[in-house]
Amino acid sequence: MNRLYDMEPRVMDDEMLKLAVGEQGPREEAGQLAKQEGILFKDVLSLQLDFQNILRIDNLWQFESLQKLQLDNNIIEKIEGLENLTHLVWLDLSFNNIEAIEGLDTLVNLEDLSLFNNRISKIDSLDALVKLQVLSLGNNHIGNLMNVIYLRRFKALRTLSLSGNPVAEDEDYKMFICAYLPDLVYLDFRRLDDHMKELAEMKHQYSIDELKHRENLVQARLEDEQARREELEEHKAAFVEQLNGTFLFDSMYTEDVEGSKLSHLPGVGELLEAYKDKFVIICLNIFEYGLKQQEKRKAELDNFMECVQEAIQENQEQGKLKIAKFEEKHLLSLNAIREESELSNIEAKIVQYSEDITELFNVLMTLEMQLMEQLEETINMFERNIIDLVGLFVENVQSLMAQCRDLENHHHEKLLEIAINILEKIVKGEMDEDLPDDVRSLFVDKDTIVNAVGASHDIHLLKIDNREDELVTRVNSWCTHLLDKIHKDEIMRNRKRVKEINQYIDHVQSELDSLECGDLLD
Amino acid sequence: MVQAVLKATSSLDSQRHARMEVLKEKVEEEEAAEREEAAERAERGEKTKRPMEVRRGETTMTQEMLRDLERKLSEIEVSVPEKILTFTKDTIDTSKLPLSYQSNTLKEEHLLQVADNFSRQYSHLCPDRVPLFLHPLNECEVPKFVSTTIRPTLMPYPELYNWDTCAQFISDFLSMVPLPDPLKPPLYLYSSTTVLKYQKGNCFDFSTLLCSMLIGAGYDAYCVNGYGSRDLCYMDLTREVCPLTMKPKETVKEEEKAPPKKYAIKPPRDLTSRFEQEQEMKRQEAIKAEEENRRKQEEARLLEQENAKTDPLHGLRVHSWVLVLSGKREVPESFFIDPFTARSYSTQDDHFLGIESLWNHKNYWVNMQDCWNCCKELVFDLGDPVRWEYLLLGTDKPFLSLTEEEDEGMNDDDDVENLGKEDEDKSFDMPPSWVEQIEISPEAFETRCPNGKKVIQYKRAKLEKWAPYLNNNGLVCRLTTYEDLELHSYKSMQPEMDRVMEFYETARVDGLIKREETPKTMTEYYHGRPDFLSYRHVNFGPRMKKLALNSAESNPRPMVKITERFFRNPAKPADEDVAERVFLIAEERIQLRYHCRSDHITANKREFLRRMEVDSKGNKIIMTPDMCISFEVEPMEHTKKLLYQYEAMMKLKNEEKLSRHQAWESELEVLEILKLREEEEEAHTLTISIYDTKRNEKSKEYREAMERVLHEEHLRQVEAQLDYLAPFLAQLPPGEKLTRWQAVRLKEECLNDFKQRLIDKANLIQARFEKETQELQKKQQWYQENQVTLTPEDEDLYLSYCSQAMFRIRILEQRLSRHKELAPLKYLALEEKLYKDPRLVELLKVFV
Repeated sequence: MNRLYDMEPRVMDDEMLKLAVGEQGPREEAGQLAKQEGILFKDVLSLQLDFQNILRIDNLWQFESLQKLQLDNNIIEKIEGLENLTHLVWLDLSFNNIEAIEGLDTLVNLEDLSLFNNRISKIDSLDALVKLQVLSLGNNHIGNLMNVIYLRRFKALRTLSLSGNPVAEDEDYKMFICAYLPDLVYLDFRRLDDHMKELAEMKHQYSIDELKHRENLVQARLEDEQARREELEEHKAAFVEQLNGTFLFDSMYTEDVEGSKLSHLPGVGELLEAYKDKFVIICLNIFEYGLKQQEKRKAELDNFMECVQEAIQENQEQGKLKIAKFEEKHLLSLNAIREESELSNIEAKIVQYSEDITELFNVLMTLEMQLMEQLEETINMFERNIIDLVGLFVENVQSLMAQCRDLENHHHEKLLEIAINILEKIVKGEMDEDLPDDVRSLFVDKDTIVNAVGASHDIHLLKIDNREDELVTRVNSWCTHLLDKIHKDEIMRNRKRVKEINQYIDHVQSELDSLECGDLLD
Repeated sequence: MVQAVLKATSSLDSQRHARMEVLKEKVEEEEAAEREEAAERAERGEKTKRPMEVRRGETTMTQEMLRDLERKLSEIEVSVPEKILTFTKDTIDTSKLPLSYQSNTLKEEHLLQVADNFSRQYSHLCPDRVPLFLHPLNECEVPKFVSTTIRPTLMPYPELYNWDTCAQFISDFLSMVPLPDPLKPPLYLYSSTTVLKYQKGNCFDFSTLLCSMLIGAGYDAYCVNGYGSRDLCYMDLTREVCPLTMKPKETVKEEEKAPPKKYAIKPPRDLTSRFEQEQEMKRQEAIKAEEENRRKQEEARLLEQENAKTDPLHGLRVHSWVLVLSGKREVPESFFIDPFTARSYSTQDDHFLGIESLWNHKNYWVNMQDCWNCCKELVFDLGDPVRWEYLLLGTDKPFLSLTEEEDEGMNDDDDVENLGKEDEDKSFDMPPSWVEQIEISPEAFETRCPNGKKVIQYKRAKLEKWAPYLNNNGLVCRLTTYEDLELHSYKSMQPEMDRVMEFYETARVDGLIKREETPKTMTEYYHGRPDFLSYRHVNFGPRMKKLALNSAESNPRPMVKITERFFRNPAKPADEDVAERVFLIAEERIQLRYHCRSDHITANKREFLRRMEVDSKGNKIIMTPDMCISFEVEPMEHTKKLLYQYEAMMKLKNEEKLSRHQAWESELEVLEILKLREEEEEAHTLTISIYDTKRNEKSKEYREAMERVLHEEHLRQVEAQLDYLAPFLAQLPPGEKLTRWQAVRLKEECLNDFKQRLIDKANLIQARFEKETQELQKKQQWYQENQVTLTPEDEDLYLSYCSQAMFRIRILEQRLSRHKELAPLKYLALEEKLYKDPRLVELLKVFV
């Protein structure tokens, strides 16, 4: 390492980068051009910064499209400042003083990573590098062979070098890697032959099978979770998530202290059970209705989108046809103008030609205006329909929710009745059964018990109202957002098209103008 | 009898006259000319001269018509006299024909008399009509009645069982000779034997042969003597569309329109004025009408051009064809067959202009119906004596349809009058045909056309047929179609000509599907290439003159322009994916057109001028902004840079080179393919079925070997059956039983004789052996004496002689010793055999 200390560490400043870019840019004629124009850092694809005594990676944020970066043979101690280089495919950080793998989480396109001759002791933090094919970790301080198992997640990894690490001295080193990384082709720059792989597989079969089993389990769990998440997303999109069970009912009682106390009263248990059943059935109704409505809305939307797309496509085809026809003519007339020698004829032809251009412009714009009007009409129709659909949905949900409320009211009355009965019994001292103390404490007087039951009732109603409100607001906001987006998209489309037409016409016109200029010069 | 019939029909004379008059009207001037000319011809005694030649100037023809006629005339004259010369009776060898050809039987004589009588009455009653075609001379100058010339024969070939294939065969098999006088039936009508032998004939020969075969196959067929159009008489198909080029009409399926969707956009509001539309419509209609008019005129003009100027001899040209009546062989409707072309026509067809008479092998009918409207109104109810005058009564008369009351009444009258003569003459029917059975050898049947080749000119098509195995490339049929009516040269195998080659894309690495060539361009279509190339079009310029003569082998045409088109490459964004690039090589210009993005209507364009320029200071200008003109739908930052443009241009330069190279390679490939094709076409070998023992060499050998084996077997059997006692038995008086003494003597004699023969044979071998040995000794002696003076050749000769002589001597030696060994055994075997001989066994046994 003494090679590094005889020089001052250098800072990666603009100057250094410019120099490097200039030196490594295009050569000869292209180089002259590059010099003339200057090269922007964001256009650079490859950069070589070796033997520069760099201590800290810095100032690289401008190199957005960089694909290959060589920072080998420096004195870098920490991987940093590479977050912006997301297009990086090839990264060389060999012969530095790096101690830990870090700062690579954004480099998802990286395929070739070299960390040769550093001070790394653990393979880690490479999870983002899903395309990794070549990994060079030789001459480091990796000591645990089990650490290699971490590399199993890189399905594209074919080349690995680990020589010069403590692990490489392990007698089982090669076999172990062969067995645990069966897709690997080259280890330490040597090809792994099939025979070797077979042997290794046999040797480590048990542990690998176990590992595989574990991995499979994890995988299955992940998949399950994914599926569940997707389902929930779907329900959410229908605005009826968690209405397909007791969730709402349960949530009514989670924060309801009094309610749970009261449920211990004799006779309330059965009542609650019946109430719950009925409530859940209504919830399920809402849920199913919600899914159905969602499907309807989706079909409506799809239909609409398809029609709009078709209309746009057809219109575009017409436009393309017109342009193609024009271009055919355009070529001819340009040539004709070029070859014409008579000045008056030239002028006549130019006039004729610009008339053609205007004509094309008018035709294209008419087409676009037509389309815009047609689409506006369609969009309005869709808007009406979708609002109706949503309105219907909300109305029906509200009526179902009202049923819930009725149930709750009914339940409340019953509960109140039972509570008052019990209170009377208690007052009369006829109460046979024992009640838990906290329940009994409610039966002090009528007000208390009525208040308690009322509080429980209020909480329940609040929960139901909240759920209803949530659903309605969400569906409405979805609707407005959708419509907004459709309108905006249409406006954008229209503007883009108008811009496109104008640009094209300008281009054609400028071509004609340049011709005129040329003629005048001639 | 005939008289009676004629009497019965005489009431129809007026009708008959009417017909004649119509015919006459048609003829009028022409006929006058014809007669005059015929007289002239008679004077000159020229039988073969065509009448048209003298017609010039007589009728009021335009100059053009005249020229046209002349042209036609010259055409005809080239072929006709030659053919006629080769097929007059002088060229026919009549010596080998059987007796029935050379003379008439009594019955035939009688028939001829009847016919003459009929003819006389006919000409008396219908003096305007052409004499009947009843008994022309045959090849032996013997008059024969036409019906007897028909020889119904069922051919052994299944292919000839149906009328269409049968007619096709005859049309292929015989070559057509026009009538010596197109306005008269021929003087001669040869037997089918002769016609088949020489494979030539006029329409009467054709239809007689076809009729014989069809009747043999069970059809109700008749020979017709009538009038046909010019095309028909000269077998001119140039105005007919070739039946092979007719394609079945494709049924156009109408696509079902999908029901409009809920959100389908409404059509744009129609803002045009109704009035203006109507005006426009009127204008359009006027234009259309005008166009239609013009088109019609054009069509009429073309039609006129195509249809030959009306034939001056229309309706007078004698033709003979075959009528097939419905009824037999499940023929649903009567129809005509033109024997020349083997095409069937409805009886209403325009080509058939009239019928004089018709006949089959049993009877002869004269048409009594008016032919003013061609054959369209003829009724082919031969049993109706009003319409058809018959020659012989009662011989298997075709049915008479009695549908109407009136008819029946009339026919009753006829019957009453017919009664008497029926008794009188019913016994007389048509004598059997004098012609031999029609025979066609399998070879001739297979060869079909005369010399195995036939060419038919259709309208815009030429059909050539060859006999199987005649062409060694196996070609049997070739149809050439033409775009227009002009003559064409056909040069498909020459490079740089119009040609389309199609390839199997899966079999080619470069995915080429099709390559089209014209003299100046080459277009290639690709599919499934990694570079998404779909189309390459190369324009060639005129070939430069070579300066150096020594390197004459390849002088590729300079390429002027290469246009390449690409499929959309899904890996690239549309506005960076080139759709078309044009290398204007001569102008040093490269044009690029990119694919259109799905939400755009315009596409990026870029044009590079490759001109190298030098600025005022003499420095080379590498790249200037005006060297690259580009239009971008959504302008991008990096493409504005000169560096980018420069690099793009350099890349394109390379690609231009590559494209040029590929085009050049394509040209080479074309040459190679053509060469290969030529070689392939020259090196045809046909696989011949092993059952074709005549052509398949192996089969032939095998068959010959089999035959040889059979023959040898046969010889051996004959030998085995040889009676060794026969010569000795013959010495004895015949029919007498052998006595014992005789038997013993017989045996002794036989044995002695055999012994003698064995000894003779031994002596013979011995003698030959000695002779050979002596000769060899002599030769050796001669050699000894002359050894010094001999040339090496002589020595070689001597040595070879020696070895041959030694060989012969050795063989003789062997034969002698073998004979010595075998002779006693043979002797014993014969003795044994004699003991067992059934004729001797009784006698000898007792004796022993």
